[in-house]
Amino acid sequence: MQWLYARGLLLPLMLAWVTSVAFADDPKTTAVPAPAPTAVVAAQPAPPTPATPAPPATPPLTAAMANKDHTTADHSRFEALQKDFKSGPEVTEACLTCHTEAAKHVMKTKHWTWEYIDKSGKKLGKKNVINNFCTSAISNEKDCMACHAGYGWQDKHFDFKNEKNVDCLVCHDSTATYRKLPGDAGHPVYERKEFPKDSGKFVEAADLKMIAQLVAKPNRANCGSCHFYGAGGDGTKHGDLDSSLKKPGKYLDVHMDAQGLNFSCTTCHQTDEHKVSGSRYEVTAVMTGNAHTRGAKDDKNPASCQSCHGDKPHQQNPLLMGQLNAHTDKLACQTCHIPEYARGGVGTEKSWDWSTATKMGPEGKPIATKDSAGRRAFDSKKGTFVWDSYLIPEYKWFNGDMNYSARGDKIDPSKTVNINQPEGTAGAADSRIWPFKVHRGKQAYDKEFSYLLNVHTAGEDETALWHNFDWQKAITAGMASAEMPYSGKFDFVSTEMSWPIAHMVAPKGDALACAQCHQAESRLKGIGGVYMPGVDGNKYLDMFGWAAAILALLGVIIHGALRTICVSRKKRGLACQRW
Amino acid sequence: MLKVIGGFIAGIVSVLVLAGTMMGSFMFREIESPFTVEETAARIQANIQAKKDKGWSLSGLRDPVKPLQAAGENALPVLLIEACSTRYSGPMLKDDKTRILSILMPCTITVYKKNDGKTYVGLMNAGLLGRMFGSKVGEIMAEVAADQASFIAFDPSKPAPPLIKGMPGAGGGAGKEAGGGC
Repeated sequence: MQWLYARGLLLPLMLAWVTSVAFADDPKTTAVPAPAPTAVVAAQPAPPTPATPAPPATPPLTAAMANKDHTTADHSRFEALQKDFKSGPEVTEACLTCHTEAAKHVMKTKHWTWEYIDKSGKKLGKKNVINNFCTSAISNEKDCMACHAGYGWQDKHFDFKNEKNVDCLVCHDSTATYRKLPGDAGHPVYERKEFPKDSGKFVEAADLKMIAQLVAKPNRANCGSCHFYGAGGDGTKHGDLDSSLKKPGKYLDVHMDAQGLNFSCTTCHQTDEHKVSGSRYEVTAVMTGNAHTRGAKDDKNPASCQSCHGDKPHQQNPLLMGQLNAHTDKLACQTCHIPEYARGGVGTEKSWDWSTATKMGPEGKPIATKDSAGRRAFDSKKGTFVWDSYLIPEYKWFNGDMNYSARGDKIDPSKTVNINQPEGTAGAADSRIWPFKVHRGKQAYDKEFSYLLNVHTAGEDETALWHNFDWQKAITAGMASAEMPYSGKFDFVSTEMSWPIAHMVAPKGDALACAQCHQAESRLKGIGGVYMPGVDGNKYLDMFGWAAAILALLGVIIHGALRTICVSRKKRGLACQRW
Repeated sequence: MLKVIGGFIAGIVSVLVLAGTMMGSFMFREIESPFTVEETAARIQANIQAKKDKGWSLSGLRDPVKPLQAAGENALPVLLIEACSTRYSGPMLKDDKTRILSILMPCTITVYKKNDGKTYVGLMNAGLLGRMFGSKVGEIMAEVAADQASFIAFDPSKPAPPLIKGMPGAGGGAGKEAGGGC
């Protein structure tokens, strides 16, 4: 028993020692009982703010200046850019003196139109869809257009044909000083401004001349100024896109690793006449064949794993490559290679419940609370939020098509409304098992007309929900802007929105292991359409197999025992029958 | 006689194998938490701070995944909450016979996520461990075990407290103020 006790003590002691050594940041700290915790704790996200392009503290102009070495044109020497620009459109006008066709290109893209027409002719895009987050841009344009590649869209009268309204700088600013704030209808900050209101924090006016002279190809921060902060805060919407990707480590994304491959967004999302490939409305869920070859004509989507890796990407381990490559006709690459999303320390929003919005604090005033990690948990303006990080995706068969609900589509309020529904057939050649972030929520619907409601949320006017906290006024104003009837009766319905996960690709050593799918508690349990060893089986066949194995084992044991007895009997001179 | 001795030895071996296999589950406890890793850790921290009357204070919060990330690898989140009570550590640190137990200080509670997406809390079985070192340590560790149980008693009706990253009193090292570390 002494040995047992000693061993029992040894185990935890060894574990404690191994843990302290293995987990120490610095060997020196192992001798210090309580190292400074702030040095080792995960970086926590900045408090979410309304949709706000990148918030820099100090302009990283060194990087911007260095970028000049990689271009054949030094924009600071261009005569058209020597002006002290007073507005964004003035800059665009100057850009267009040389880049004469650029605005025409941009105007054909979703970054300008915020509209997409699907195969069935249904009008989608931000202009037409009620999403699961801020719901709708209509009647809230002055805020939402902080992420429009244009200037001045504040209502339905916006001039989509005026080339000067195209915002070149939001994508081509290399100084990280160009900011567009909610409330300015897509214009940058022209005068020093307190933001958020009453926060005591100020955003400096953009130096348009300097920014225009230092334009460059888009970098991760340019795309991220909107795509990292979509839905009103860092990491809120996508789950696989947040500010941690501005300068990620290899663990977070092998392609964007700032010390490694350092891909920008456009390395994969290659553009043609300003049209960016790889839109979520045009997902390439399945691609077969070899990788694209430089110089060869190929019209396949460059923003796909296969465009570089082909459909037989596993070549290194001869023992495993055949088996791994055999998975590519059923699984998207992302399924194994993005085992979890929201891994950068920012986290992502799992749900947004609008039904609790307008609830006030104990003193009858609006309140806002945060969760333990400092992320928004409740806001009287917006409702209740749930956040988490390192999330396990949900898996669905997907063929690249999404069935969206658009404004005015009828809903069944007794069921969860799918804002979008990935299409695909289990086991079909045109579908693969994809990982998704599924965002859940509750939002307002018309009890009589049975459709989701367009709510006027943003603004300082008397009908804005975030100003007056009156649902009726906000819905009435929102529906009037959307030119849709409203019965005057509303309630809240559960909603879901699915986001395919394609970023935050982990190093190959961190890809899903066999057992994470091929076991009883498989991640892919219930996916259907494919036979999964370790998960699926036939009860009777399994029983027969086990019975055969047990009988075979018994046979070996009995045979061995009889042989042993026989040898023993022979040694004693007794008779023994041969077996 | 040979059969009796053989049977006895076989019995001993079986017990030892069984004990060795199950030692882990005796020495450690794992419970599921309904909250995220951060919120679970924050609630444990708040519970520890509520035990000031027993001398408890927070002495550290570690993220052992950070070094792994710096090396380019991933692991699901883990937070190690370190806490100490001078009321319990003092008697053990003053005695040569038990000073070696300082290797277990500060008291660590681990909060982590598993592949099922759920959050778990891991604790050392302080009561059992204490009994291995005689009555004096046994009594101390029994009290530690009782306090530990209160650390992981969550009240969902209370709002989520913020995760404390800078350790109050610890000042980045041991015992800058009373109870800051052990």
